[in-house]
Amino acid sequence: MIKPHSNRAWLLMIPALLIMGFVAVLPLVAVFNYSFHDIFTLDTALWVGPQWYLEIIRDPSFWASLGRSALFSAIVLSIQVPLGIWIALLMLRIGRWAVPVLMMLALPLVVPWNMIAGMWLTLIDPQIGLLGKAIATAGIGFDYKFTALHTWILIVAADTWHWLGLVVILSYASLSAIPASYRQAAAIDGASRLAVFRHIELPRIAGALSIVLLLRFVDSFMIYTEAFTINAGGPQGATTFISLELGEDIRSFTYGRAAARAMLDFLIVLSVAWAFIRIRAGRSTSPEATR
Amino acid sequence: MKMTRMRPSIALGLAFAALALFILLPFVQTVLLSFTLTLPREGYREGQATLINYATVFARPDLRDAIWNSLVYVLLNVTLCLAAGLPAAYAIARFRFTGDRHILFALIAFRLTPPVVLSLPIFILFAHVGLVNSPVGIALVHCVFNLPIAIWILESFIAAVPREFDETCFLDGHSFRHFFLGKLIPVIAPGIGVTVFFCFIFSWVEVVFARILTVTAGKPITMAISALFGFQTDIGLVMAMTVVSLIPGVAMIWFVRNHIARGFVIRT
Repeated sequence: MIKPHSNRAWLLMIPALLIMGFVAVLPLVAVFNYSFHDIFTLDTALWVGPQWYLEIIRDPSFWASLGRSALFSAIVLSIQVPLGIWIALLMLRIGRWAVPVLMMLALPLVVPWNMIAGMWLTLIDPQIGLLGKAIATAGIGFDYKFTALHTWILIVAADTWHWLGLVVILSYASLSAIPASYRQAAAIDGASRLAVFRHIELPRIAGALSIVLLLRFVDSFMIYTEAFTINAGGPQGATTFISLELGEDIRSFTYGRAAARAMLDFLIVLSVAWAFIRIRAGRSTSPEATR
Repeated sequence: MKMTRMRPSIALGLAFAALALFILLPFVQTVLLSFTLTLPREGYREGQATLINYATVFARPDLRDAIWNSLVYVLLNVTLCLAAGLPAAYAIARFRFTGDRHILFALIAFRLTPPVVLSLPIFILFAHVGLVNSPVGIALVHCVFNLPIAIWILESFIAAVPREFDETCFLDGHSFRHFFLGKLIPVIAPGIGVTVFFCFIFSWVEVVFARILTVTAGKPITMAISALFGFQTDIGLVMAMTVVSLIPGVAMIWFVRNHIARGFVIRT
């Protein structure tokens, strides 16, 4: 269906553009401006040019935390996305039970973000936590404060618990929208379960999946609250992600460097998102992917 | 034959039982602790089952105010997102116009902007116009990520309504306003439900903006919970407050349970 061309449609965009201009564009321009200044107080700022950027890029700890953030995103995406799709596929087979399962999966989404880590820390507490007591009884040593691997396991588990529901909800919604005739035709042709998934289901949920990938990438790449609450980036910087470094700059009132760091983080996120959208757009123009 | 039918259903049951265990265990822990006395008090012993934690939540004015503040800014935010998002979504769904694709990408980009990046200038900007410590400020700033989500969801629902529907209404002599409010909105009601759900949950649980914009007053639930942590934290009280904070979210899940399963279809 071809949409008519009408620039009067801009009038309908005005309220949204005004709000976004005030709360998003204006602050972003301000961050860009701050990033070239050394800010002593909010009224006295000294122009320093690209000094902050150079300082950050030359700092090995920036690259180390960038690597950690990328690794964290890779782990989180490779666990949550396949697991979420698999659960959504299983849900197609349980009929009306799918609704209570969806409601259960949506529960962690409504937990205040600062309590996600709080709930998990309590759960694994050896004195009062159900899981912590079980681990202690089983004689397994779990020390997330001083063992980097254990901190990582805890953050990945808490993040997966938090966001798995979103992956399942979006995957399930688009999977259940596939007409039954598609699967019936495949069954008559004797297609295997894998073939049905690859050639029918996966292309049909590609749109929802790209949104899921994008949202999960950004939110995991910029993870802050959970990582900060669980171990404040420790032990010995093993979970210092890029957003924790940014938070550190803001807390120590090094606003100029914080702004430069924020711009760098934003540009990284934006360029990955842009590349991703371009790849998706390129794919969807190929004949087999059009619907 | 019977065996082969049984086996997958047992495996399926086990898979969902494992999932339920993983998802529900932290909630079970939270609810259990919320009914437990975790700090010693006169006349009670520690570890005893109690309702004191809940009584404290509703007796303390700072905690009651926090619940109220959260409700106010979330409702404001949802209203703003619908009021600005509906016309924008209609424009994108129904018309081509100069720059439409760029606007969509910009909207996605703003949804992807990490809150930490914008926190400092937003604080300064809002301090200038007197929006710090007010629920209005938080409601506005949450539009950074909620308005793009609202436009994106509503657009997919409006696009699913055939254009003939609009044309028939206009031929019948309805004004644009009457068509929009009286005809289109009822048709896409499930989409509005899903939008409200997503705006609600993202706004209710957000921490970064809520923290920087509430320096002295107007603290939301998330900050009230944070403030309960200290040298000697009353974990039972923290958990009771957490359980209370879940109630509106759980109610939202209940209201949109059928829509989040069926209605939310994303077009490629």
